[in-house]
Amino acid sequence: MAANSGPSDQSAAGAPGTKSDGGASANRKLRRGLILGGAVVAANAALAGRLWQLQVVETETYQEQAARNRLRTEPVRPVRGLVFDRNREPLVRNVPVFGVWVTPADVPKSREGSIIASLAALTGEQPDDVRLKLSQARYDPGRPVQVAADVQRDSALAIEERRHDLPGVQVRSGIRRHYLHGDVFGHMLGFVGPVPAESLEEYQALGVGFDETVGLAGLERQFQGALRGADGSRRVQIDALGRELNEIESEAPVEGRHLVLTVSVREQRAIREILARHLALRDSGAGVAVVIRPEDGSIVALASLPDYDNNAFGVGGDPSVLTRLVTDPRRPLINHAVAGLYPPGSSYKVIAASAALETGIVLPQTKIRCDGQLVLPTGWAFNDWLATGHGMVDLHRGISESCNIYFYNISGGNPYTNLTGFGNRRLVEFERGFGFGEVSGIDLPGEAAGLVPTAEWKQGNLGQPWVTGDTYHAAIGQGLVQVTPLQIAMMYAALGNGGRLLRPRLVDRIVDSQGNVLQRFPISERGQLPVSDEHLRLIRNALLEAVNGRNGTGKWARSEFAVVAGKTGTAEYSGTRDSQGKLPSHAWFAGYAPAGNPEYAFAVLVRDGGEGAFAAAPIARDIIDYLMTGEMPPLPQDRPDFIPPTRRLA
Amino acid sequence: MTQVLRRFDLAVIIPSIALVSAGILMLSTTGDPGQTGLDHKAVQQGVFVAIGFAVALVMAFLDYRLLNAVALPAFILGTILVAAVVVFGDASLGAQRWFVVGPIVIQPSEIMKLAVIIFLARFLARRGERVRSIRTLLLSLLIVLAPAALVFIEPDLGSALVFVAIWLAMVFVAGARWWHALIPAGIALAAFPFGWFFAQDYMRERFVAFLDPGSDPLGAGYNVLQARISIGSGGWWGQGIGQGTQSQLEFLRVRDTDFIFAVLGEQLGFVGALGVILFFAILLIQAVVISIRARDDFGRYLAIGIAGMLFFQSFVNIGMNVGLMPVTGITLPLLSFGRNSLVVTLAAIGILLSINAHRTSAPHRQQGVWWVSSVRRLTAGPGASPRP
Repeated sequence: MAANSGPSDQSAAGAPGTKSDGGASANRKLRRGLILGGAVVAANAALAGRLWQLQVVETETYQEQAARNRLRTEPVRPVRGLVFDRNREPLVRNVPVFGVWVTPADVPKSREGSIIASLAALTGEQPDDVRLKLSQARYDPGRPVQVAADVQRDSALAIEERRHDLPGVQVRSGIRRHYLHGDVFGHMLGFVGPVPAESLEEYQALGVGFDETVGLAGLERQFQGALRGADGSRRVQIDALGRELNEIESEAPVEGRHLVLTVSVREQRAIREILARHLALRDSGAGVAVVIRPEDGSIVALASLPDYDNNAFGVGGDPSVLTRLVTDPRRPLINHAVAGLYPPGSSYKVIAASAALETGIVLPQTKIRCDGQLVLPTGWAFNDWLATGHGMVDLHRGISESCNIYFYNISGGNPYTNLTGFGNRRLVEFERGFGFGEVSGIDLPGEAAGLVPTAEWKQGNLGQPWVTGDTYHAAIGQGLVQVTPLQIAMMYAALGNGGRLLRPRLVDRIVDSQGNVLQRFPISERGQLPVSDEHLRLIRNALLEAVNGRNGTGKWARSEFAVVAGKTGTAEYSGTRDSQGKLPSHAWFAGYAPAGNPEYAFAVLVRDGGEGAFAAAPIARDIIDYLMTGEMPPLPQDRPDFIPPTRRLA
Repeated sequence: MTQVLRRFDLAVIIPSIALVSAGILMLSTTGDPGQTGLDHKAVQQGVFVAIGFAVALVMAFLDYRLLNAVALPAFILGTILVAAVVVFGDASLGAQRWFVVGPIVIQPSEIMKLAVIIFLARFLARRGERVRSIRTLLLSLLIVLAPAALVFIEPDLGSALVFVAIWLAMVFVAGARWWHALIPAGIALAAFPFGWFFAQDYMRERFVAFLDPGSDPLGAGYNVLQARISIGSGGWWGQGIGQGTQSQLEFLRVRDTDFIFAVLGEQLGFVGALGVILFFAILLIQAVVISIRARDDFGRYLAIGIAGMLFFQSFVNIGMNVGLMPVTGITLPLLSFGRNSLVVTLAAIGILLSINAHRTSAPHRQQGVWWVSSVRRLTAGPGASPRP
């Protein structure tokens, strides 16, 4: 076995065997080389297959993803519209300013904190506000966010110089609202400011960005939509960080529309000044003047003092000014002409007079006895302002001499005579018919509706039953009645124009930047006063007499330049009684002029002004003097008939 | 000399020229507009292509057997350089991968790849059949593991893996036993948890991102996804040269190096990308053929080491571009921007040409087409070897 195997062993181990082994080894190497070659083929085939899948089979999916990667649509903000007076004189200007914008994508995460801190220091913004704005923009980090709307030129330059330390920060030009006449139109125009956090979603639904400024008061707020205009859009190509590379297409924004008002700078300024001069003599220093054109309801002037310079609300405004405005007990931020509620006093008596005539409770010539006091069987006493009494009073004298007793009788009745009044239910109908208890519809935000008291209201809100005394009070505009000066002015405008109760017009039209009229606000009639022409004439005669008659309470409203018709009002309100035991009162005067064919209707209110005859009527006179002549009247204290504020009637 | 020219292997040269040209073309579209002249990466790449081809020519005309003499010094010098770069190297992107000597940037790990191939080829050729013993196999593994470990520490996981791939290809063809391959595989498997523990964060992130690129689209998975979008949006014919938005608008990162294939896929489409794969396949198969036909084992192992290196790098790189492989930071040979790697790769191609030129008139050649004879040899059994 060993011998047999010997030669074969030898041949395998010998020299030829080496060849043989070399052959096996060589074959193995060849085989393995070919396996490696096969692996190359297989691997590259796998890659090719994958390429086929990505580039041929699924290419559309990836092309879509690539397209989404590189395009972005972003809004183009319009330029906010302006406001002009009746003579197309601008009331507001857009002033170019430096805004600071941050592109969150360009802010390195590691340096975010220090960049926010530097930005806050340079712009004067709160670091938390800057951080909040950046976090609000997180969903689209490539889009720049405005973190400061209006920075000082020096700050803007400082930021530009430090560009390299502040990656992602840009200074862009923007606009700031500059109100050319400050406090003269402060209440009317209002102001703009950042979107209030609580109404952010509401604004975003309208397409307003969270970093925009929006109208927060006055016309800026009322006409926010028109003034803002509509966003345009741009499709831009962006890089991987979302930075804009170039614009692909764009649609221009609809620029903000302009408002043309019914007021004029000259008249508004003058009337506000007249009011201010008179109020300077009063402790409260607070009051309202509303002037309207009776034929179309256009506002001529609307002043509520104290007021504010609306430029104080822009960036750079003095914070102490704002603090003062907010803490002032007279509430200067409120436009008291449309939002202030006061008892109207005797200026309200024309409603009761109308009710009496229309219901036939009395004839115009029916005389009622006034002893200066009416004591009800319950023991409650109701006084006339004239303690000696007016004697026998008809409607004419009742109005012109403002006899309270007359109005008590016709409204609530008199238990000692056979006269039954028309009652509060009818009075309420007439109050509503004269436009009270609902907003007049002026184009300003925050208008108050006022209160026309009813038995139901009193029971529901005060838990007390309605008594005759309440009707008495309501008839003379006291007690629970609450009105705005604008409502009173609109009532007198209606009395002056023949009975048409109009909606006040502050904005005449909306125009585009080329001056094309986009929208007009035509005369709008709210209704007709519920008074016959004949009765209206009687009332107007009484109002004429109230100013021009010998015993008229409104004689301090007489003007040299026009015949004034109107009615005083002295509306007491609960407060500290004075030395004579009288309650404090708001002074009113409302009317129209010229009496025959009125061009102007007005309502003047001096808050805590005492007697309407002394405090309010002279203001109305000065206003009419001014409107008729175009010249400022002399200072009230320079007049020979000047009545010092301390004096009271009887 | 004439023999070298006669045996200039077009199956190596044409793919090489095509691939470096494609690389330069792509780099010309990815540079910043401000880059001009030598600042432009395409121009720089062109310069290094020229240098690389010069080196390749020298290598082609030299007899590759001369490399035997430099094998050990090159290996020692290379190892020292790699060790030095770990200690003193220029830290860039959190990794120490190169030296800067004046205008020259030296990346020792690239040079080391070739040094390891040459030294390992010499070692395996001298060991002959002893490669089938476990002792020799482990020794050969040590040769590779020393530089691989140093490169891993840099950290450069990708290059470390290239060394392992080179070793695998070479010992495989040299004749190592199949089951011996289980030893390093077992070690690798056992080491994985430790490797995971010691791995750099970026490595772990990339691994997770590979498994699920959508998990963190703006983080580690970002580029994997962007590369896929780039390639996918290329379609049949591509977006055109210089046109693709993915690469032009920099949605795609590291466009010049690791992800140049995605740039090409976007701009030249399926046709262009398939062309690149075909050229690589031709080059690699020809490298294997040259290995098979080499006159001696040294040449055979050299060629297979080079083939293994190119194969592993191209497959892993393209694989990660198309989302078949994790991101390992391995560049695409011949196409990616890279000074050292380009020159080293072209030098390796020069060595391939030299091995091809210096083969003896191969026995199987006399019998006609080489692969026909090869198949015949393999099917005929050991006894059928032709005698000289």
